[in-house]
Amino acid sequence: MGSSTCFHCGDPSGSSALFYDDKAFCCQGCKTVYEIFSENDLTCYYDLQSAPGITPKDVQGKYDFLGQQKIIDKLVEFDDAKSQIATLFIPQIHCSSCIWILENLKKLNSQISSSQVDFGKKTVRIQFNSQSYSLKEAVILLSSIGYEPYISLEDFSTGKSHVNRSLIYKLAIAGFAFGNVMFLSFPEYFEVGEYWLEEYKHFFRWLMFAFSLPVVFYSSQDYFTSAYKGLRAKTLNIDVPIALGIIVLFLRSTVDIMFDYGSGFFDSLTGLLFFLLLGKFFQQRTYSFLSFERDYKSYFPIAITKILKNGGEEPIQVYDIKKGDRLLIRNEELIPVDGILIKGKARIDYSFVTGESDAVSKKSGDKLFAGGKQSSGSIEMEALKSVEQSYLTQLWSNDVFNKVKEDSFTTLTNLISKRFTIIVLSIAFISTAFWLFVDSSKALNVFTSVLIIACPCAIALAAPFTLGNILRIFGRHKFYLKNATVIEQLAAIDTIIFDKTGTITSNKESTATYEGNALSLSEEVLLKNTLRGSNHPLSRTLYALLDENDIITLDEFEEHVGQGIQGFHQQDSMKIGSANFVGKTKTFAVLNTSVHISANNTYKGKFTFYNSYRSGLSQLFNNLKKQYDLAILSGDNEGEMENLKKLLPARTKLLFNQKPDDKLEYIKHHQTEGAKVLMIGDGLNDAGALAQSNVGIALSENVNVFSPACDAILDAEKLNNLSDFMKLSKSAIKIVKWSFVLSFMYNVVGVSFAVTGRLEPVVAAILMPLSSISIVVFTTIATNWTSRKLKKKHSSILPSI
Amino acid sequence: MEMQQFYYDNKIVKKFVYATLFWGVIGMVVGLLLAFLFLFPNLTDGVSWLSFGRLRPLHTNAVIFAFVGNAIFAGVYYSTQRLLKARMSSDVLSNINFWGWQLIIVAAAITLPLGFSSSKEYAELEWPIDIAIAFVWVVFGWNLIATILKRRQRHLYVAIWFYIATFVTVAVLHIFNSLALPVSAFKSYSVYAGVQDALVQWWYGHNAVAFFLTTPFLGLMYYFVPKAANRPVYSYRLSIVHFWSLIFIYIWAGPHHLLYTALPEWAQNLGVAFSIMLLMPSWGGMINGLLTLRGAWDKVRTDPVLKFMVVAITGYGMATFEGPMLSLKNVNAIAHYTDWIIAHVHVGALAWNGFLAFGMIYWLIPRLTKSKLYSIGLANLHFWIGTLGIIMYALPLYVAGFTQASMWKQFNPDGTLVYGNFLETVTEIMPMYWMRAIGGTLFLTGTLVMIYNIIQTVRKGSEVVDELAEAPALQRVSKKRVVGEHWHSWLERRPVQLTIGATIAILIGGIVQIIPTIMVKSNIPTITSVKPYTPLELEGRDLYIREGCVGCHSQMVRPFRDEVERYGEFSKAGEFVYDHPFLWGSKRTGPDLHRIGGKYSDSWHFNHMYDPQSTSSGSIMPGYKWLITDKLNKSNTETKLRTMVTLGVPYTDDDIANAQQSMADQGAKIEENLYSDPDFVKSYEDDKMNGGADFIEMRDREIVAIIAYLQRLGTDIKVKDLETTQN
Amino acid sequence: MSVIYLLLSLSILVAVIFFVAFIMAVKNGQYDDSYTPSVRMLFEDELVKEKPKKEKTSKLTNQE
Repeated sequence: MGSSTCFHCGDPSGSSALFYDDKAFCCQGCKTVYEIFSENDLTCYYDLQSAPGITPKDVQGKYDFLGQQKIIDKLVEFDDAKSQIATLFIPQIHCSSCIWILENLKKLNSQISSSQVDFGKKTVRIQFNSQSYSLKEAVILLSSIGYEPYISLEDFSTGKSHVNRSLIYKLAIAGFAFGNVMFLSFPEYFEVGEYWLEEYKHFFRWLMFAFSLPVVFYSSQDYFTSAYKGLRAKTLNIDVPIALGIIVLFLRSTVDIMFDYGSGFFDSLTGLLFFLLLGKFFQQRTYSFLSFERDYKSYFPIAITKILKNGGEEPIQVYDIKKGDRLLIRNEELIPVDGILIKGKARIDYSFVTGESDAVSKKSGDKLFAGGKQSSGSIEMEALKSVEQSYLTQLWSNDVFNKVKEDSFTTLTNLISKRFTIIVLSIAFISTAFWLFVDSSKALNVFTSVLIIACPCAIALAAPFTLGNILRIFGRHKFYLKNATVIEQLAAIDTIIFDKTGTITSNKESTATYEGNALSLSEEVLLKNTLRGSNHPLSRTLYALLDENDIITLDEFEEHVGQGIQGFHQQDSMKIGSANFVGKTKTFAVLNTSVHISANNTYKGKFTFYNSYRSGLSQLFNNLKKQYDLAILSGDNEGEMENLKKLLPARTKLLFNQKPDDKLEYIKHHQTEGAKVLMIGDGLNDAGALAQSNVGIALSENVNVFSPACDAILDAEKLNNLSDFMKLSKSAIKIVKWSFVLSFMYNVVGVSFAVTGRLEPVVAAILMPLSSISIVVFTTIATNWTSRKLKKKHSSILPSI
Repeated sequence: MEMQQFYYDNKIVKKFVYATLFWGVIGMVVGLLLAFLFLFPNLTDGVSWLSFGRLRPLHTNAVIFAFVGNAIFAGVYYSTQRLLKARMSSDVLSNINFWGWQLIIVAAAITLPLGFSSSKEYAELEWPIDIAIAFVWVVFGWNLIATILKRRQRHLYVAIWFYIATFVTVAVLHIFNSLALPVSAFKSYSVYAGVQDALVQWWYGHNAVAFFLTTPFLGLMYYFVPKAANRPVYSYRLSIVHFWSLIFIYIWAGPHHLLYTALPEWAQNLGVAFSIMLLMPSWGGMINGLLTLRGAWDKVRTDPVLKFMVVAITGYGMATFEGPMLSLKNVNAIAHYTDWIIAHVHVGALAWNGFLAFGMIYWLIPRLTKSKLYSIGLANLHFWIGTLGIIMYALPLYVAGFTQASMWKQFNPDGTLVYGNFLETVTEIMPMYWMRAIGGTLFLTGTLVMIYNIIQTVRKGSEVVDELAEAPALQRVSKKRVVGEHWHSWLERRPVQLTIGATIAILIGGIVQIIPTIMVKSNIPTITSVKPYTPLELEGRDLYIREGCVGCHSQMVRPFRDEVERYGEFSKAGEFVYDHPFLWGSKRTGPDLHRIGGKYSDSWHFNHMYDPQSTSSGSIMPGYKWLITDKLNKSNTETKLRTMVTLGVPYTDDDIANAQQSMADQGAKIEENLYSDPDFVKSYEDDKMNGGADFIEMRDREIVAIIAYLQRLGTDIKVKDLETTQN
Repeated sequence: MSVIYLLLSLSILVAVIFFVAFIMAVKNGQYDDSYTPSVRMLFEDELVKEKPKKEKTSKLTNQE
């Protein structure tokens, strides 16, 4: 790393670099953070990781609402007279330096007594002296060093979620019992009739019985309940035969040891539960730093500044906003409710809510919709509706948000288990009937044996281990699934619908083309330097697009708000802005935004801005078109139509000016025609569509910040892998089916023992784990082998075991 | 909740480090002496307290409990304080722990050469010292747990868990294996007999290795390797799984040390099964340790500390792979009793324990003395000499092991043994013993280099002071105040209280268990013809124990064709019912002795004891001249018999009353037999002439007792009454 | 072989203790965060003016 990158954040600092302690910084912000650290000799921060920092944002006044007791009460999780504890979500946490600095906050301010990071959850739990310090100050301190917490309406409404660990307990108990029972049952397998063994086997057996009790009555609960539910709903789900097997195993074994028929099947019983629960445990891969259940709440601010009649300002919770309230929206702040612009130049970015790519300018009197983000200076507005009634939030009253998808979807396993159960039961009864005639003494033995050996442990394991493993592989490639069933649903997809803005276009950069007479070198220099002075979003974009020029100091610079900017250097002058500002009279309307230029009052030409599409997009579409119907639903205007036509395969449907509920309806319509729809979107405007679709994937530039409710979150940079992901989920289902075949073969062997009444405990004890383990091995190898293509571009956040 | 300032106790760490180095050298020197006794059996001729049999336990104890033990304490005391952000709960306890431990070691270093030994491997120390160990160990645990209670860091790092496990299990194991009935201040008999004693001993023996040489060092690995590499452990989740799975499997794996012995088959197989299972967690740990250094291999090339640790972890991997392999019955059939085992344990001790300790010390000393290591060059030198030493030590012994095993088992077409004379198998492997000695020398040299390096570092470094640190006290958040909060102080303290409570519970539970075990007459199928030892034989047996014969001679003929051919009828469980303690042994440097009785004449034994080479040339057994000259101490015989009675050995009151008489008679009988040897008569008569007042009758000398015992060995069952045995 | 009773009950007892300890540990949220602790233990907290050992990290050296 040369001096060209920022010592703090590692961004290219370029020619405009600032220097301090002979280290380069890209901006004032980074420099300040470094100064803070070096003053408190916390520069170890930079030793653990090179350039670990984040550029701080200006939060002037942003957190005034944290002054309000009512809000504080919601945010702190512990509060006695002296101290408060609050857990803050900090998306920026990404390396050991972050952990180190955040756990040394006390060195920055002695009022903070302790701070503990949870890297997985990306939270810091700070504890401070509430008499002399406040949450607000803490948050501002964090922001000042680049770790601005993400506080949203969600934190306000939802209470702290309670961690449910019952599965771990159940698994632990099963595993523990399994180990001990195995230990106790081994002797009788090795050597029968040995003098001492005869003496102790009863002791051993009853110990085994004791160990199996918690397993049967605690660890297997879920299976009994689920089986019961299934039967109530007249469906034979996989848990029915399992529950049956468990009961029979337990009763048969107990009877065996009671009347000294044999050592019982306790090892099989405990082992069965252990493996089943292991599968369950393995299948639930949760991403503690992600949430799939988000709605507008986690996007909206918790509070906003209200302007009182007397002109004073006070923070007010967005829920308390009433019609007619006057609100102050600062730069980069969100408009919480629909309202009317009163004062100030509004330039509002709706891309996230409506999908319009460009920020729109509003004059006072214009209507403002909730969800827009103000992007130039602060404005005043008057509320027309409360939060709940605002246009955007209305979307959530739609009932798609209330129905759970899984219910409508029966998994492969349950599909199989139906037939399986029937077959097993009939075999059991037939063979029993047979033995009743041949040798009635054996009949009961046979009946139980069949149910024991046919207990579909392996079948139940096939899906969890395959899908669980795929889930992890996806996760490693930044494709985060809500749960394993999503994979099965992905495999069934036949239609893929994309949102445009922010999904196939990238929010970050856009491209511009210049048309008109070429600019001389001096003019280019002047242009670049004039833009340099302006903070207008378009100017910034254009500035970034133009290639480096040497910096000159302008003699004069004027910003004509709403029209454009003007720069003077020696005798040259340059106007940049709207058509009539630069003095171009007749303009034919274009949908794409453009910036006009005139040098020394002679019109030169215009830069027209286009979205820039994510690289490899057309390639992706061409891969997909073979198996899937493709469509694009955009909230934007047709401006990009031509571009897209060029870019994408011919058969791709393109629809523009789609309102959120239009998208939802469109999907519903396709589904009624029997289509299985995958929706890929990013914004709140897609939320309805994502919920309606069979699988909704939210695309996100930064998975830690906001993404609407969905079944899966995909990191934007991995969009190109989509086709691979789809392929993989298809082959996952194949693997599951093959492992079914495998486990059936085991069952055949086992049953053949059982029906002939020759099922020794040792046979069961060998067959059961053998089948389970071989299934696990098979699925693991198979999944990893099929996913080797992805593996090449391996990337992982945390070391995974 | 307010910030608290406190000092880390570095002095105690320093003390333990120095002790580690000191005892390390002692242990290795003794080891080296033993290695050379293989080459020059009579190196210490006639000096009883320098004889091989007595020094062997000193070596093992010095290395395990003095060297490794002190290293453990040093590491634990350093890391625990920092992981818990708290000074050890009490300096007094810390110092009792330190000085108590050193005192015990000194006591061991004195008593073992004097022949005060229980003859149970790794537990040879006699009962007073055992009690002292238990006491000091509890002090250590108390100190550790008290520190956990006042910690300032809520999360218990995985290393701490390993330490807790070490404390609890070792306490339990030590107490139950050392249960013995005292006869005198320095003599006791194990409460268990024969097979039972063997089972308990190896349940202990294995777990001693597991929980004294492995778990604490894994804890140290999980602390010092990341520290030295300055990277987090490869997968913390894996380390947690590693700990819990290890804990749950280890405890079972004892009996595999007794494969093919008279232990019931199923018990043996159990040991095997669980030993195999051990492979998984062990290797999980090793991989986790090695992968921690991924991306840091450049550092490993330059930093000796990491070099030592890499070899240590690799050694752990090899040893934990070899262990389960050795527990496979067919492998064990070959390896057991041979030098393979010696090689196996030394890979563990030299590489895993030794090198990890060295790495740790090289890392610690500069930190304690706030200076840089005196010489990286010397440290690297130490590393290379040491590594070479390990290889030079292990490889030859593996070869030796194979050679012995194959020679022992070779048959001629006519069904006779190819190497009928055990000595041939010994002389064959002398070259390996030479190389082993050289390897050992190298390793020791390396250690000395290290000590010089450390001394220089300490010299130029600032003296060790307690380090100031600060951390906020743990906020005790009460449940009712905080909704949805998933821990609270009471629950939070729980596991610790639990460990204490539970340990006590086991002890009580154990005692309840043990009383009937001692009192109730053991229900081993008795063989009618098996009778208790006569008083003289019993005395002889105690001499056998005193001289540590069990270190080189097994008393367990396994049911293999070659062993039956070589030694005679294989051993039955029923033959050992009166053996307190059992003397099966674990190594055959010399032949098995279970069927030695009646094989040779008394004179032969007499001469053999005086000068082994005279009777069997090329033998590497040292002479036991003091047995021939010294008077047998018969003062305790009655007490011994009475103790045996308490333990369930059926001596009648007459037996006890007539003990002295019967000893005199049996002694006289043997003396008479000795007269059949003219040379003996000659020299003995000479002594008698000019012996004068302090002349001791032959019948009263120790040699007579030991001959009596040897001639009795394995003679109780004749092949004819085998039917009566149920085994 | 009555000693079997002893060894068995002892082993199981020890196992049970650790098992309970395990459950407790999980209950207390000891294992909720299975990454941060491994990083945390690397940080030195001594209040010494001497530069902590982290200064040695190779990353730093190739920065200036």
